[in-house]
Amino acid sequence: MECVVQGIIETQHVEALEILLQGLCGVHKERLRIHEICLKSGPNLGVVASEVRLLCDLEQPESTWTVRHIGGAMRGAGAEQISVLVRTMVESKVSKNALRLFYALGYKLDHELLRVGFTFHFQRGAQITVTVSSVNKMLKLHATDEAVPVTPGIQLVEVTAPASAENYSEVVAAVSSFCEYLAPLLHLSKPGISTGVVPTAAAAAASLMSDGGGTPL
Amino acid sequence: MTLKWVLHWQPNAGSTVNSQILSEVSQCVESINGVKEGRWRATLTFYKPHTREQSMAVDFPRDFLGISLPEQPNKYYFIIRGQRIVLEADSSIQTLMEKLQSYKTRVALHFDGFQYQLGDFQLRVGKVVPTHSENLRGIVMEVEYVPISSVEKARQIMEEFLDIWQEAVSKRSLPGHFMHMEPNFAEYGLTDHYTSQHTAVQYATVMAQLIATVQAVQSVRN
Repeated sequence: MECVVQGIIETQHVEALEILLQGLCGVHKERLRIHEICLKSGPNLGVVASEVRLLCDLEQPESTWTVRHIGGAMRGAGAEQISVLVRTMVESKVSKNALRLFYALGYKLDHELLRVGFTFHFQRGAQITVTVSSVNKMLKLHATDEAVPVTPGIQLVEVTAPASAENYSEVVAAVSSFCEYLAPLLHLSKPGISTGVVPTAAAAAASLMSDGGGTPL
Repeated sequence: MTLKWVLHWQPNAGSTVNSQILSEVSQCVESINGVKEGRWRATLTFYKPHTREQSMAVDFPRDFLGISLPEQPNKYYFIIRGQRIVLEADSSIQTLMEKLQSYKTRVALHFDGFQYQLGDFQLRVGKVVPTHSENLRGIVMEVEYVPISSVEKARQIMEEFLDIWQEAVSKRSLPGHFMHMEPNFAEYGLTDHYTSQHTAVQYATVMAQLIATVQAVQSVRN
């Protein structure tokens, strides 16, 4: 299981966000360059269609692969009241043959993306990961060197934290509380519920940049 | 990862494997001074595609299997033998496959038995039984040579050991013998440096042999 919120920020304010996150998290950012290959089951496979994502980490000297399945979100009145999405998620590191295996099993390429940016991993009531990245599409199959932004000038911010059936309330609280610190720069909400950029972003960014990140919130 | 060969018991034409043979083989290991160390178990699962109609299943691989190995408790291995694919994954991949619901377990088997130490060799003798059954389907044996990780460098010493072993077994006049069929590891993208992926591929090859043997016996009966 995992808890997730997302938001968008203008590329011009990403540097300010980085300064803010650096101050809040107390750790250094890690560079991110992930080739994400989204596969869907072919027409006759499975009673219901299934999706799986193959993530190739291009930042490592030798690319490492992960397979991820994102399942259904928690439903019900309780789920609707919380501002964080709670959903099942299973992932596994795999050796480099994963794409060949899934093609052989009858999965087909649905789409692929290249995410370029940075992440912060830290502990603050929960194990939280903040990812800031541009989402790029490839003009030719698997051509990660020739990728162009899907939304030029806009980057995606994702805050995730692993959770279990026993502790998800605490994790939701930790994620929500952390998101409040980012409010001047961006608004984070459940994926699928878009809110756009925040009007205070420019002023908040200017303040962070002139401050040099010296003043913690 | 040190090198191992996985052997399987090939019954003579017209005979089948039974627990008496397993007992004789275990005694044979001890007779060449193998020191019993403890139990071991590996589990192999054959998967079948989950399709709306039975006829659609032909479009998908029939030889898709997964195996867990005792020396890698946090890993799981997938093999599609017909396409020479092997994949090493975290154990969580089994949960992931269950969530996808595109493939289901067709049959699962345990390789179950005892481990022995013999100088620089580690031997494992195991019966092949379906899970939830005591029906003996075969016998496997792992011969591991601890000092070497190179498939080619270990070949001579493994062959010499195998000669000694085959001679010891033949003295018991059992209706069959152990066979080693080495897969072409390069076809699976594996190198000379031995890994658990090599072991997984050997088990997939052994299973293909066991199935062929069972089918041959059935066709003779029919």
